[in-house]
This record gives sequence, C-alpha cells and structure tokens, in this order.
Amino acid sequence: MKAFEFAGPTTPELAVQALAGKAGAEALGGGTDLVNRMKDYVSSPSRIVYLKDIAGFRHTDATPTGLTIGAGITLANLLADPVVAKDYPGLRQAALEVGTPQIRAMATVGGNLLQRPRCWYYRSGFGLLAMKDGKSMVRAGDNRYHAIFMTEGDALFVAPSSLAIPLIALGATATIQGGEGKRTIPVERLYQVPKPGMERELTIKAEEVLLSITVPPAKGKNASYEARWKQSHDWPLALCSVNLTMDGEAVSDARIILGAVAPVPLRSSAAEDSIKGKAINMTTADVAAAAAVSTAKPLSMNKYKVNLTKTVIKRALMSAAGKHYWEA
Amino acid sequence: MPDQEPQNRGHNRRDFLRGSGLAAAGAVLGGQATAAYEEAKADLIAEQGAKVVSGEVEITLKINGENKAVKVEPRCTLLDTLRDRLEITGPKRVCDRASCGACTVIIDGEAVYSCTTLAITCQGKTIETVEGFDTGPKGVPHAFHQHDGLMCGYCTPGFVTACKNFLDKNKGKEVTLEDVKKGLDGNICRCGTYIGVFEAALAAAKAMK
Repeated sequence: MKAFEFAGPTTPELAVQALAGKAGAEALGGGTDLVNRMKDYVSSPSRIVYLKDIAGFRHTDATPTGLTIGAGITLANLLADPVVAKDYPGLRQAALEVGTPQIRAMATVGGNLLQRPRCWYYRSGFGLLAMKDGKSMVRAGDNRYHAIFMTEGDALFVAPSSLAIPLIALGATATIQGGEGKRTIPVERLYQVPKPGMERELTIKAEEVLLSITVPPAKGKNASYEARWKQSHDWPLALCSVNLTMDGEAVSDARIILGAVAPVPLRSSAAEDSIKGKAINMTTADVAAAAAVSTAKPLSMNKYKVNLTKTVIKRALMSAAGKHYWEA
Repeated sequence: MPDQEPQNRGHNRRDFLRGSGLAAAGAVLGGQATAAYEEAKADLIAEQGAKVVSGEVEITLKINGENKAVKVEPRCTLLDTLRDRLEITGPKRVCDRASCGACTVIIDGEAVYSCTTLAITCQGKTIETVEGFDTGPKGVPHAFHQHDGLMCGYCTPGFVTACKNFLDKNKGKEVTLEDVKKGLDGNICRCGTYIGVFEAALAAAKAMK
C-alpha cells in the first residue's frame, strides 16, 4: 500500500473540502473494499478522507415521507433496524447476504453502493474495460462471472452492489453533498456504463460525498433473492429484487431489478409488463422470468447465469407473494 | 436508530506550527526547534477547515483495557500495528484481505477484521483481542481446548474471538448449531476442524448461561 495523507473530518462539508483539497483523494467508509484495493495497488489515493466518524452519517430516520438511511451506518446497523425489518424485507434480505458478520459490522451502506467492481481483470490492474491491443480481455478470456446483458458494449463487468438492487426496486433516492450544496438523485443514477475515454462506472464526483438514502414508504410487497457460489462470504452470481403494488390478488404495478448481470443495475420492463394484472404463481413467475432473460446475450463462459437469473426472478416474485416453494 | 456518537478522536495538534507558519518556522529555527518542526510536519499538514495528517503519527489505542501509545503511518492496519508494533500477536495475519477471519478483533463490541481496519481510525475505541479473554472454565478458550476445536491452530484465535463476540451478543438466547454456523461464517479453517469448533461454541454457550 502506498503512503497517503489522512483526514478525519467531523462534518460532511469538511469532508467535501478535504476531498476537493487534493487531486487523487478518496473517501473511506468501512474499508472492506478500498483498503484491499490499496493493498493490491488497484487504487492508490493521495489522501484518505475518513467518513465513518461523521455523526450525522450514522442513523436512520423514519418519517411519513419515508426512511432516511445515513450512508455511514453499517450493514449490521441496517439489519437491526426495526423499520427495515418490518417494511423492507427485500432490502433486509439483500443486506443479510452480504459478506460475513465481520464484514457487515464494518461495511457501510454508502460503501456498499459505491464499491468498485469485482471483475478479476479490473482487480488485477487491467482497468474497468480490460482492453489489450484494442481487444477486450474479458470477451476472449475467463468471463464466467461477467455480464450476460448489455454485452455488445465494452463494459463487461457486473455492478457489485447488493443493496443497490432492492433500493432501486423500492424507488429510493440518494442525497449527495458537493461543494455547491446538496443534490438528490434516484439511486439508479449513481451508476453509468463506462466507455473508452470515460472509465468510470460511478457518477458521483471525486469531491462529492454520499450522505444518505431515502426509501419511500413501503406499499405492496417487496422481496429479494440471490444465487451465489458459496453459502457466505461471496457476491451474488445473480440477484433479483421486486417491489409489487397489489390490487387484490393481482399485481397492479411492478418494479423488477436485476443485479450482478450487467455493468449497471438492470431494470426489466419486459418482466414487469408480463406480471402486471396477474396473480403471482409458478406459471406467471416463470413467464416473467423468461421475458426478462429474452434479451440476455451471455459471453463464452457464462451461459449458466441466464438460467440462474430466471430462477432468482421467479424466487423473488414467489417470495414477495409469501410462497417460499424451494424451502419445502 | 441513533448510533453512538463518536468520541473526540483528535490527534495531538501542534497548533503553534500551523499552515504557512510551519514552513516559515522551519526556515528560521535550528537545533531542538528544527526537530520539533520535523515532528510537527509529519504529524500535521494544517489546511483550512480539514485536519490532515501524514507520515508517522502518534496515536493511543485502548487494547484489552490498557491505553497504549504507538507511532504509525496512516496506512498501517490495526493488525500490523498490534502484531509488529505492540507485540499483541493473538490476531493472525493470513489472507490480509478480509477473507479468512484469522485477524478478527472486537472493536466497540463488534467483531471485525483488523487486517482491513486502519489503526488511525481506532483511536478512542475499545479494542479487545484474544489475549484479554477469560481462560477459566466458563470462557470460550477453555471450550475450544476441551472440544478439540483446533488442529494447526492458526485460525483459532480468530475463531475464539468471533465466537466470544457472537455468544456475548446472544447471551440468554437458546443458541442452535445453525445459529453458530451463521455466527462464525466469517472465519475459515483450512484444516477443516469445524466439528470441534461448533461443539466448542455450543459448549461455551451453555457455560456462559
């Protein structure tokens, strides 16, 4: 790890100032991603701005307009929150499956949303697009954990955040502090597809700080389901979060978001359209899942992820309906 | 959900040598004053608004109830600080990437990976390592000994630490094998002696009641 300066600001404004004060400064939360990137020389910030001790970052606040989650609370804090447990089971489930007890005690909500991709070419120093002599190393190489959607582009890694998926399904917004004050954007707009000349998958600027996430009041049913290689300590191979508004037995409105299958969290309007107006059962869930993967274009080694994605969509929908058929 | 307000974790500031004054002082002072200047430069680069440190910084860590002063660079992990500077060698350096659990320590009541925690962020916090645990018949180390919860032993301090934290958090509850597996899934044993570890954890849960 290269040496760096260390700043421990006490307010978000001071944090923004400290980040803007030096080129190459980077914000540090729980450290579970950034510290390891520094050890591997994937990231070598000139200055670390430590955010976890900023008091205002570290609580949740339930109001009639929704639940505001401080970006600095840990995933363990999030899991202990009674409002999350009661109203947002889809968010809770996704948080519960992140890492290990130790990771969840360290990692912050903001850090989970802004962690960098796990692509092994990126983590080995070949850059986000992993281009060599104008060709993608991912496309020609070992792409078993890479994208199955949007693969006609140059970005073939998958967006790593597990929390982004349920938060987008729930219609959450992110509040960001910059030099000129605060701005609020939908969580999905934290992410972008990088391209040659713009190798950045996050939209947040270097001097900006993610302050909080606001989740609108829960209505209807929400759930998440993910598939992994390992029982714990792993990122999902495919993750689906659904948020359904119900009209009696029928779905009147749906948001179905997929994770770990594209360089950004992916909304499946095909799946949403197919389930609207229908009750949730094995047949309709199957149809929705098939609709979602109809546009998948897997790479040479990850066709298996198409079927896994179908399964996680089906199980997320059935879980929202309270039918955990796979547990029987 | 209100969280614990962070305590004042200010570093030792040498306010008399702030900002542009720092460079000016260095230019005209000699002898002892130059030494003070060098130390201050390492400790603090004053900047409008934000406090920034670099180089070697003296920090105080509260470990197993004892305050220990130590000089570290901001890039020193808590694990390396404990092992290499303070000779607290219970936490082990294995993967050094938050993947195996051998470095587990308890900070402010939460088991965390010390290999991925910067020492400088631990000031004012309560750090517990395996060295501070009760080794008597009601303690977790005794249960590991009694139930053969180790083979080569290298992962054991991490397991014992994670186990103690898990049981402390679940005091008074009926702990099942399934709970233990979930509670300890941040630790890995390459020898594969999980059966002994789980038995030790369940026995320790009983002993703690």
